[in-house]
Amino acid sequence: MSSITPTVKLHLNKRETTFLVPLYITLLVAVVSVLIALIFWRSGSQPGSDGWIIGSRNNPGIAYSLPGFLVYLGVQSIGTTFPFALTLGATRRAFTAGTLAWAAMVSAYLAIVLAVLTMVEIATNHWFSGFYIFDIYILGTGNIPRLLIIVFLGALTSLTLGGVFGAAWVRFGNNGPRTLGIAMGLIVAVVALLVVPALPDLMDAFQLWWLAVAAVVIIAASSTASWAFLRSATVR
Amino acid sequence: MTHAIDIRSVTRSYGSTRALDDASFSVPEGSICGLLGRNGAGKTTVMSIIAGQDRPSSGEARVLGHTPFEHAPTLTRISYVRDNQRYPDDYRLHHVLRIAPAFAPFWDPDVAAELVDGFRIPARTAIKKFSRGQLSSVAIVLGLASRAPVTLFDEPYLGLDVSSRALFYRVLLQDLAEHPRTVLLSTHLIEESESLFDRVVILDRGKVVVDADRDDARDLAVTISGIDDAVDLVATGRRVFQTHAIGGLKSVTVAGCIDADLLGRADRAGVKVAPASLQDLVAAYGAGDATTADHQVGARS
Repeated sequence: MSSITPTVKLHLNKRETTFLVPLYITLLVAVVSVLIALIFWRSGSQPGSDGWIIGSRNNPGIAYSLPGFLVYLGVQSIGTTFPFALTLGATRRAFTAGTLAWAAMVSAYLAIVLAVLTMVEIATNHWFSGFYIFDIYILGTGNIPRLLIIVFLGALTSLTLGGVFGAAWVRFGNNGPRTLGIAMGLIVAVVALLVVPALPDLMDAFQLWWLAVAAVVIIAASSTASWAFLRSATVR
Repeated sequence: MTHAIDIRSVTRSYGSTRALDDASFSVPEGSICGLLGRNGAGKTTVMSIIAGQDRPSSGEARVLGHTPFEHAPTLTRISYVRDNQRYPDDYRLHHVLRIAPAFAPFWDPDVAAELVDGFRIPARTAIKKFSRGQLSSVAIVLGLASRAPVTLFDEPYLGLDVSSRALFYRVLLQDLAEHPRTVLLSTHLIEESESLFDRVVILDRGKVVVDADRDDARDLAVTISGIDDAVDLVATGRRVFQTHAIGGLKSVTVAGCIDADLLGRADRAGVKVAPASLQDLVAAYGAGDATTADHQVGARS
């Protein structure tokens, strides 16, 4: 009997954390975005004007708030759930696969939720008041297929990155995440050193799919590293 | 005889610390085996290896004929909740009761309900806020309701009150009678649990020092007590595990059973001999290095 499906159920066992907390955060971002828009309105900016639309669509609130929670969710999906999964009888292999499947499900759920909210926003002419909350640049400016890919890959990247830090903690204790963080920082610094001279050319040639490829690479590397850490991890 | 658990020359080292040192023992299918020894003797380590949560540095552990590590069919047939079990963030009792059946094919919700009710486990409190006794109660619910063919209990009584311990004994024996399975139970409450066991394994410093049927284990040591010189005389030549002395009186726990020779010498010297209890035996092995009586000078206490 494989324990992949039970592992997915184990993660889905905390239904409020998995399904409702991301909605609460999205709702909070929406409320804050509306409040900021109202402040601009009161200061003289006109809803529907070009400046209003450009300014509203540059709102990155959702990108600042949701990934933070998703990284936490990824950390705890391994850090505190792995010992209990072993107790219940999961194998390390099935736990890693089940955790990735669960992360993909959560990412797909969030992509669908944000796609629906964006469609509602567009259908209601931006909530009947010119408020741009989801029809924004970072979510694909109302392009639903693009939004689905952005949110799915963004959420999955956050969850798996959090997961690898959780796995490093399970395997190596406090030294694990610390060393991993330093290693990641060094990699980013080295890549930046190599890329900076060619940055103007790269910016000119930039294609959105590069980000998708980068996300897929991070997801694959994080999942593989999580498996590598967990396969030799013991619970003490 | 079929063995549910077979530990062969298992050593487990953590850095320079050797938690298990060439340990070997077997637990027959259907038996209730007590795993006894001092703190740090290696009980939790060997249970972790049996449950597939850890791997031996050398040697082999087999459970139901398979190496449990990463062997899914075997792991579904083992139940093991650690004494310091960690639960996912924000878990409450209903989370545990909802997910456990997904992993435990033999889960019995009626047993779980009876135990939850009997232990009075709070439903609304987060598990991380549970008392030591309440955590033990949750572990017992998981262990008994899962009806796993190999069930491991690691210090199941920690923090439990008398009523809760009585409930545990009653449900354990009742359920095992209806659904026989192999139980390995570690505990320090030896006198209270002794009647449950049909086998005992005693560990000391990672080594198996006793692996025997419970009744045979009682024949492994004798307590001799009386006036110190007389006790020394009777104990001469025997391996002394432990000595207690108060004033001119002495009590020693020595290796061996009560035979006619010992009874005769004791009678002539005017000292009492009695079989050592299981608790005496565990305490004796845990007290330190054994010596031989004729080398003993003075009393150790």
